[in-house]
Amino acid sequence: MCGIAGIMFKNASGRGTGKALIDMLDGCQHRGPDSTGFALYGAVSEEQLRLRFFIGEGDQANSAVERVKTELAKQGAELLEDEVIGNNYRVTVRFTGDLQQFAYAMEHNAKVISIGTSLEIVKDVGGAHDVDDRYHVAGFEGTHGLGHVRLATESDVKPEASHPFWATGFEDVAIVHNGQITNYWKMRRRLEQRGFQFTTDNDSELIAVYLADKLAQGVALREALKTSIEDMDGTFSFLVSTRDEIGYAKDRLAAKPMIMYETDELVAIASEEVSLNRLFPGQALNTKEPPPGTYDTWSRSI
Amino acid sequence: MVTLDLAKLDVRAANERIRAAGAAGEDVEVVNPDARHHIGVGLIHPINVHVRGSAGYFCAGLSDQASFEVENNVGWGLGDNMYSGSVVVGGNAGAIPGVAIRGAEIVVRGNMGSRAGQVMKAGTLCCAGNANFMAGYMMYGGRIVILGDSGERVGEDMTGGEIFVAGKVSELGSDAQLTDTAAEEIDEIREFLDRYGVSFKGGFQKIVNAGKKLRYATSERQMRSIPFFTFSGNSSYWNPKVQEDLYIKSQIGRYRIRGYGGARPLPHLSDLAFKKDLSDAGRVVDVVSKIDMYTEIGGINGANPLQLSMPVMIAPMSYGALSASTKRAVGLASSLAGIAENTGEGGMSNAQRDAATQLIFQMLGGRLGWNIHDMNRADGLEIYISQGAKPGLGGQLMAKKVTPELARIRGIPAGIDLRSPSRHPDILGADDLVIKVEELREATGYRLPVSVKLGAGRVRDDIKIAVKDGFDFIELDGMQGSTGAGSAEVIDYVGTPTLSAIIEALDALESIGRRQDIQIVLMGGIRDGVDAVKALALGADAVAFGTSAIIAGGCIACMQCHVGQCVTGIATQDPEHEARYDPEAEAKNIHRFLEGVRWQIAALTEALGYSSVRGLNRDDLVAVTPEAASITGLEYAPQYRVRGAGLEVRTA
Repeated sequence: MCGIAGIMFKNASGRGTGKALIDMLDGCQHRGPDSTGFALYGAVSEEQLRLRFFIGEGDQANSAVERVKTELAKQGAELLEDEVIGNNYRVTVRFTGDLQQFAYAMEHNAKVISIGTSLEIVKDVGGAHDVDDRYHVAGFEGTHGLGHVRLATESDVKPEASHPFWATGFEDVAIVHNGQITNYWKMRRRLEQRGFQFTTDNDSELIAVYLADKLAQGVALREALKTSIEDMDGTFSFLVSTRDEIGYAKDRLAAKPMIMYETDELVAIASEEVSLNRLFPGQALNTKEPPPGTYDTWSRSI
Repeated sequence: MVTLDLAKLDVRAANERIRAAGAAGEDVEVVNPDARHHIGVGLIHPINVHVRGSAGYFCAGLSDQASFEVENNVGWGLGDNMYSGSVVVGGNAGAIPGVAIRGAEIVVRGNMGSRAGQVMKAGTLCCAGNANFMAGYMMYGGRIVILGDSGERVGEDMTGGEIFVAGKVSELGSDAQLTDTAAEEIDEIREFLDRYGVSFKGGFQKIVNAGKKLRYATSERQMRSIPFFTFSGNSSYWNPKVQEDLYIKSQIGRYRIRGYGGARPLPHLSDLAFKKDLSDAGRVVDVVSKIDMYTEIGGINGANPLQLSMPVMIAPMSYGALSASTKRAVGLASSLAGIAENTGEGGMSNAQRDAATQLIFQMLGGRLGWNIHDMNRADGLEIYISQGAKPGLGGQLMAKKVTPELARIRGIPAGIDLRSPSRHPDILGADDLVIKVEELREATGYRLPVSVKLGAGRVRDDIKIAVKDGFDFIELDGMQGSTGAGSAEVIDYVGTPTLSAIIEALDALESIGRRQDIQIVLMGGIRDGVDAVKALALGADAVAFGTSAIIAGGCIACMQCHVGQCVTGIATQDPEHEARYDPEAEAKNIHRFLEGVRWQIAALTEALGYSSVRGLNRDDLVAVTPEAASITGLEYAPQYRVRGAGLEVRTA
């Protein structure tokens, strides 16, 4: 139950992805007033990973930071930078081991929000501007990113239940999703049998892991999106992003809205045109509604 | 020409100005629309509205007589439920353009999104580009003209109307077929296209209903009725009703349809008792005048509330399931008792409006009888999601009851077995619902309370959505609620008991700290003032009576509501049968019952030690069965099973 948004600047970075996503999400905040989140892709630092954790507040936060530091040392990750922002703990490490096992181990010590060479997920309760006030998203200048506003229905209004979701165990893959995957448990058990761990009961995490697993097997994102439409039952419109790509998939029933606008410079996709128009106030945009059962991807050129 | 700049004005303010301009006969242009929702909804005057850019959801929705031109794109639900009037869109339209229109002319110069013309009744929806998935889905009448390709499953479950496709027909929907096109039909389309300046010379393929699903293949043989009371006893095995059920199924080979409520014993309010010794209840002379029972429902967000002389309403029941005379009797009784009546599905007749001083107008997925004029003369608007007797399913109105008069109000062909859609075209999630609620508020100037009718299913999740989407109150309907027609198995075995429903609702609201942000009207097997007081003590703000009001007005509980031959003239549209019903006399009977309810509420409230019904609380109650104790969390106190005397109804 939500609104989604995504943008990619095709040619160069530094186009104000953070600001653009805040505007788009503010435009569709009516679809989800409970929480707001962003998946942001910054400069890539090879062999360095950026991790974000939810650590809570006060003593709880202090002990979470200690647990994270201890586990990082145990995993052989060299701590380069660390910082507490709001209820997040953000660290940069040098790590070259098995990311999946590393991620699962970290998850046992504090709630991991995202891990990536480029990706950082910022999400919390409140509206787009509230989250920006806390985490300074507006200043973020990357090539692409995703955003999500959430109306909590089945799970609680908690920072960790907000979106976007990271593909647990796979660097740099994030997802925002509007809809409901009805064969969730079936799909999840299939993936669990292959050793994947899930850190929430949210169907968005399932889609993220499903796609990331395909990508890890060398399948192209386009192809992974195509099979996702065949494999997932239910109603969905989702956006996925990786270090270099952004893509969408839409169910065959066309039950969830999605609209896009593309120029030579950028592609922007959102639940409603009102979000796209926030980027171009006063202009009549030549938008397109993706037909049911379709998918597409875009790559950044640098 | 009035110019409104949406970069400076919000939509609510702009709509007030557009309506004022309409009333004054002035045209309007809207600049910087930037795809905002609800532009021009609720207009009821001949006026030209020019939108310079893109509009969002429900542009021109719930309007009559107005002409719109939108230069660029529109979002979902273009021209929702428009009567006369027109919209021309220069760009593309999102999903469900022309949804539920009843006469409007809509032209989209680009492409249309999915489910174009869903549940439309009359008028023309034309698209110069391609249509998409399931164009004409469940349409009841009117004409869709597609100059490009049809998209998949065109005409899915259409009942009436015609779809003309100039391009490729990729796949026909269920119960749709291709047919020949008459020359005069093509001439009419050409004339229409000329009028809107669309140049087109080619031919068309025509798609209509194939007639395979309009009626049940085998109708149910009518049996001598076995009264509810005979089969709903303790034996659930081979009682006469089970026997009859097996026999009928052996003849028709499908599930049975029947009316009335569930017959299975379920935990209910009768499994609760009052803690206090109430043997003195009712001894106070004129107790009714001494207890504060006045209750406002629906005003918490600033709308004009329903003003109830006691925390009681009439539950939604349709003109259709019930005869016009019965609706009149119930309406009159509600007025005499100073409470609110509810249209149920299928529209508002003048007779209903005249009879009831306070009338809630209900909107269902088929949008049968839904329209801006009746919205404007209603006292509350209600979005029906489901009902307790058959949560998740649409209504059933057998052909016998679909008279020409009823079909006219609903905008459907007469004489079909009407199976109402179970889903709304434009409510596929909480996120769409919030936009729909806003549309209803915008169209009626934020004057009317907007409620949601919810059959108890996943109450915990659903009520959170209801409160977050800004409803003023919820009509929460448990499994003991009745229906005019439903599948027998569903009535007895699907749903959540009323007692569980209210507890789950309250728990969920408590868990998010939002109890004060929505009012709850509980219904589903509420029989009298004693049940009402228990419901109020559990935490409901009011209760609604359906079946009990009907029984008070002469129903004999024969369970043949679906057949249409109701011997008492209640659940029928047959004039001969209806003639047996005396609405004036039955109104008095129903009113007398409601006054009995009032006395019971007052007497119990007084005996429990309160001067207002708002004093009633959980501590007044105990549970007398383990099941009820487990559901409610109340103390299990079987010693209270023997109830003290003195609670019989006394009226002044």
